[in-house]
Amino acid sequence: MRLNKRKIIDRLMLGIISALAIASAIPIFAIAVNVYSEGARYISLNFLIDLPPPPVGGGGGGIGPALVGTLVLVALALAIGGSIGFFTGLYLSEFSHTRLAQYTQMFLQVMVEFPTIIVGLFAYMILVAPLKRFNALAGAIALSIVIIPYIALNVREAYKSIPYTLKEAAFSLGVSAPIAYLRILLSAARRGVLTALLIGLAKAAGETAPLLLTILGTTFTYFGGLDQPINAIPLLIYNFALSPYEKWHQVAWGAAAVLLTIILVIFIVSRLIIKEVKV
Amino acid sequence: MSWAIEVQNLNVWYGDKHIIKNVSFRVPKNVIFAIMGPSGCGKSTLLRAMNRLLDLNPHARVEGQVKINGINVYGDNVDVTWVRRQFGMVFQIPNPFPHLSIYENVALGPKLNGLVKDKSQLDELVKQALQKAYLWDEVKNDLRKPASMLSGGQQQRLCIARALALKPRIILMDEPTANLDPVASSKIEELLLELKEDYTIIIVTHNPQQAARVSDYVAFLYMGELIEIGETSTVFTRPSNILTEKYVLGRMG
Amino acid sequence: MNSEKIFPIFLIVFASISLLIVTSIVISLIINSYPIFLRDGFSFIFKSVWNPVKEDYGILPALLGTLISSAIAISIAMPLAISLAIFSAEIAPTSIRGFINSVSDLMASLPSVIYGLWGLYVLAPILNQYIMTPLHQYLGFIPLFSTKPIPTNLFTAGVLLAIMITPFSSSIIREAYNAIPHHLKEAAYSLGMTRWEVIRTLLGYIKSAILAGAFLALGRAMGETVAVAMVVGNTFTLPRSLFDMGYTISSLIANQFPNAEAYSYMMPALYSGALVLFTIGLIINLAGLYWIRRVVTRG
Repeated sequence: MRLNKRKIIDRLMLGIISALAIASAIPIFAIAVNVYSEGARYISLNFLIDLPPPPVGGGGGGIGPALVGTLVLVALALAIGGSIGFFTGLYLSEFSHTRLAQYTQMFLQVMVEFPTIIVGLFAYMILVAPLKRFNALAGAIALSIVIIPYIALNVREAYKSIPYTLKEAAFSLGVSAPIAYLRILLSAARRGVLTALLIGLAKAAGETAPLLLTILGTTFTYFGGLDQPINAIPLLIYNFALSPYEKWHQVAWGAAAVLLTIILVIFIVSRLIIKEVKV
Repeated sequence: MSWAIEVQNLNVWYGDKHIIKNVSFRVPKNVIFAIMGPSGCGKSTLLRAMNRLLDLNPHARVEGQVKINGINVYGDNVDVTWVRRQFGMVFQIPNPFPHLSIYENVALGPKLNGLVKDKSQLDELVKQALQKAYLWDEVKNDLRKPASMLSGGQQQRLCIARALALKPRIILMDEPTANLDPVASSKIEELLLELKEDYTIIIVTHNPQQAARVSDYVAFLYMGELIEIGETSTVFTRPSNILTEKYVLGRMG
Repeated sequence: MNSEKIFPIFLIVFASISLLIVTSIVISLIINSYPIFLRDGFSFIFKSVWNPVKEDYGILPALLGTLISSAIAISIAMPLAISLAIFSAEIAPTSIRGFINSVSDLMASLPSVIYGLWGLYVLAPILNQYIMTPLHQYLGFIPLFSTKPIPTNLFTAGVLLAIMITPFSSSIIREAYNAIPHHLKEAAYSLGMTRWEVIRTLLGYIKSAILAGAFLALGRAMGETVAVAMVVGNTFTLPRSLFDMGYTISSLIANQFPNAEAYSYMMPALYSGALVLFTIGLIINLAGLYWIRRVVTRG
């Protein structure tokens, strides 16, 4: 091929690639702009605390119960899923030669890609059906299951990346295994572990599908107990956005703005933590 | 005569590979005992078999006895953390905990093992350890700074201080100067000669000249077998085994 | 001394719990879908009917919907993902590469309900006005475009899915590209190739990563529930064109679940849909993981 023709093709392809690349990044900016321009105007202290408005007529209203619900569910999910995930990840890292570790790691890698609605079905079967009503605990357990693989695999990475000689140094001090792993080496791995927990936090706060079949999304009680239905911000957005009421659409945008802000904060914090490691 | 440590019929396997082959020797107290041999002969493994750090390797299997004060460290009712506290260990690449300060590196062992009752005792312990390691004067104003800021030689002396802080009986050293420049190396060798008054030192080295310089007794390990052992002066001037002679004269790997 | 022995056991318990959860989920899918397999055999996968009163169910439209929307998604996403990866790894000025990667990672972690909300009220009308309606007007004779478009349909779902899976796929390809040994790049340039020709050659070198990115992204697209449920139309018809409203298996489950308790066979039907989805997803994800192994062992 003549050089000129090759040069033209070169320019053309680089241009196309750049255009496509920029195009693929446009949606996030569009989403951020749209969510904040449609939703930010509704955010106020009242919005965060009040009960939702009636579908038509009536005053401002807010997402109070959903916010409380999200806080409750996320705290529970992190406590349950976080601890199971952490200790599983530690096992996967330090006992990686065992059959159990190899199978568990494989299964967890598959589980990361599970459609989360299936986790919801499972939680429904074991917790909603027996209690004969939708309840918060089922939602929390569903969220825990969703985040376990993320936390476990990331904690495994964090511990695996500790140099072996540091492990030897820690054990040579004559401390017991729990102290070596959980006080000395955890400190060495803390950035990776923290990142893992932040990922779990973001997922627990943002996932909807596991909640669809478990918590009902009651809009009028703040917290009735773990065995009662509850709401959560993502579920509220889903329900309100699909409703036929303009008022509720507005609340959905406002809630989306709140959720987007939460996710952004978590994201930025985890980036700052990682940056410290590189420096 | 009481021995610091007695190794009897020690055998170590990594999977199917027989790494340490029926090694037996005894180390007197308050001496510097060198283990020398070409790379890959099992010196580091031998060292780790003594303080049971080898337990961390799931593929390693140990048979035989290692006795401290008559107690076999591989015995049935022996607490492995107690065993490790009898030793202080210094590694080939200086490995202070990078996320801890100079002070915390030395204080960690005593604190976690409950060796001191309060902060002032801990401060005193840290100071003594750093003094013994000839590092105190250089870092006394920077105790809170991260350990990673020190030079290689300083880091290694910090590791020695960390090991001393536990008041062990025996100090194990795995090629401690292999990654240091000659100046830093000789500082550490001087330090060893001082330390042997209070401790028994077992040092693994791949450098026969170092063994000749610092040790009182030396053992020559080749392919996992103990070829020769004796007073350093004797082994180096009148070796009784041809392999030893080759190694000492530098005609071996 | 006890803690030395207890600690590993303690850890084993947790690891076993994780393993147990995964196996239980799979078993529960099988157990709960058993009634309908017993009654209808595999035929219900290929039937198109949803008649709760007669307790007659067939998930074919949902299965097709999943396949169609995912196919649309992956065909749009792959060129975008590769371009984004190349742009970040090779073309963009080094100073903004970190920023681009952060933006991409942020997109990958955005909750799907936010994508759904935006898709429903912003993307769908735009697609309808600027792409679907013109295509239908001028090319409506082609079967693919033959239905008069309504904003929420399979096409919108496919496009939204493409937007969602591109960042994830892109990061896999980008990492593989960055890991290409420098001397290979130098060799290509030393042969006098233009930049595009070098890129094309190196892309061939990381074929496994591209395949891995494609399969894993496809798996994600198939499993996505909420964003799709908000834009796909949720209508139980056999799709004849890209612009038909429809269902995917996951959105079918999400939508019909509230009704399911009232009927005897709807719940098993939904569970078996989940089982079918899980099986397809498993195969695709295993393929993706297989290609990831190839990337790792090759390097």
